[in-house]
Amino acid sequence: MRKIAEGAEADVFKAKLFGKAVIVKTRKRKKYRIRELDESIRKERTRIEARVLERAYSAGILVPKLLGVGSFSIYMGFVGGRLLKDTKLGSGMYEKLGRILGRMHDVDIVHGDFTPANIMIDAGSAYVIDFGLSEISKSREEKALDILLMKRAIGKGHYASFVKGYESSNKESVGIMRRLASIELRGRYQVRTLA
Amino acid sequence: MLVVGIESSAHTFGVGVARNGKILANEKSMYRIGTTGMIPAKVAQFHSENAGEVIERALAVARIEFEDIEGIGYTMGPGIGHCLQVGALSAKTIAKMLHIPIVPVNHAVGHVEIVRHISRLKDPLALYVSGGNSQILKKAPGAYPHYKVLGETFDIGIGNMLDSFAREMKLDPAWGSSVEKKAVGGRYMRMPYTVKGMDFSFTGLLTHSIKQIGKENGRDICFSLQETAFSMLCEATERALLLTNSSELEVCGGVAQNSRLREMLASIAKEHCARFGFVEKQYDADNGAMIAVVAEKMLKDGMAVKIGDCGILQRYRIDKARLAGA
Repeated sequence: MRKIAEGAEADVFKAKLFGKAVIVKTRKRKKYRIRELDESIRKERTRIEARVLERAYSAGILVPKLLGVGSFSIYMGFVGGRLLKDTKLGSGMYEKLGRILGRMHDVDIVHGDFTPANIMIDAGSAYVIDFGLSEISKSREEKALDILLMKRAIGKGHYASFVKGYESSNKESVGIMRRLASIELRGRYQVRTLA
Repeated sequence: MLVVGIESSAHTFGVGVARNGKILANEKSMYRIGTTGMIPAKVAQFHSENAGEVIERALAVARIEFEDIEGIGYTMGPGIGHCLQVGALSAKTIAKMLHIPIVPVNHAVGHVEIVRHISRLKDPLALYVSGGNSQILKKAPGAYPHYKVLGETFDIGIGNMLDSFAREMKLDPAWGSSVEKKAVGGRYMRMPYTVKGMDFSFTGLLTHSIKQIGKENGRDICFSLQETAFSMLCEATERALLLTNSSELEVCGGVAQNSRLREMLASIAKEHCARFGFVEKQYDADNGAMIAVVAEKMLKDGMAVKIGDCGILQRYRIDKARLAGA
């Protein structure tokens, strides 16, 4: 097993299983928090992540294929390529990303950390990875937060393409975008206007 | 340049004196919140009664005469309107009397910058935690240099949450440090934990904790509340640290005085080989020195404002504040 990535939450290893490349994602013990809290967070997130991965895969979204689950570890098929945050992409790709998120939300998958650090680009295809903060939820609030995270991380031009893609693929997009507008007025000391 | 900074956004009336980045005085008088918290009009009255005395004390400690002051800064916001007015008026009066330049300062910028200044950090990721605020910040350079908000609370600041809980628990004084004392030796019980990427929210946790009062041991509630809230902040901060690839981490604001929070953040910094910046408590609590230090940089950068344009802004967000010397 070789460590290939170190996230805030988990270490990701590449290993061989029956001759095939697999990814093992292990949630690390966090020394800053007490053991009881630490273990309950790690166990619960591992379990939910596995469930969401399976759901996304069946919905035809490009994600790593789930192979197995342990208490703090998930075994997945290998996905190559580079992270979006280390890549320069044209607007077309951002529109595609918008469509992917739109489709995910259509099957009630909320990613929870939808940022350029969690998208893998491989030969023109975008894989969504790290469902560590994901949930299955119908909540427009949660869906809008996915969009907000991406909005904060990318430039205005790319965001416009992203929204275009999202709106083209999600049935509920009007309501979700409205919700997003209301969330953005919610931070502390924002200048608020009445809608 | 010899600059005086006046802070009065909440319970503290603080006066700091700085010359060429060196802090010569940091005096304050603090409104006693007791078990009731802050009543705006009462706090403002307290400030007006004490302003003159605190200013004189600061000058005496700095060993300077009133006429030596070469520039002045005050907290423009965010904060309680009544309270901000007292500091703004004091500063404007001094500026008028001495014919010296004056500059309004963002309170949050003061908190972040004083820790960066004293700890000699270059470009830290900052966790700013106080009564009204809880934000993860990083400097954005460019034509309009400012602190970008990477993550923040969706509802109330962590200090406000701890203070509200302290009032419900009838702790005296009703604020975070009393919760910290009470938490010692407590046992953990599960509480709502809400982190969304680099944002977080505290009201669910507050409501849950208040409901436990009387049912569970007070020490255990305080302990669990602190552990849960701080773990949320730390998770979001660690994520931001990795996303921004920062080699420095600082904690600032009133809640940065909490030793458990400092310990947790130090552990994160160590794990990612980042330098951890923190300061003695008097500079984490609201203080005039932070305003003086920032004001001096702003004045030297030609950011003085006409007295007539010196107002207050209760909802002055940190990302709207232009920084000196990019």
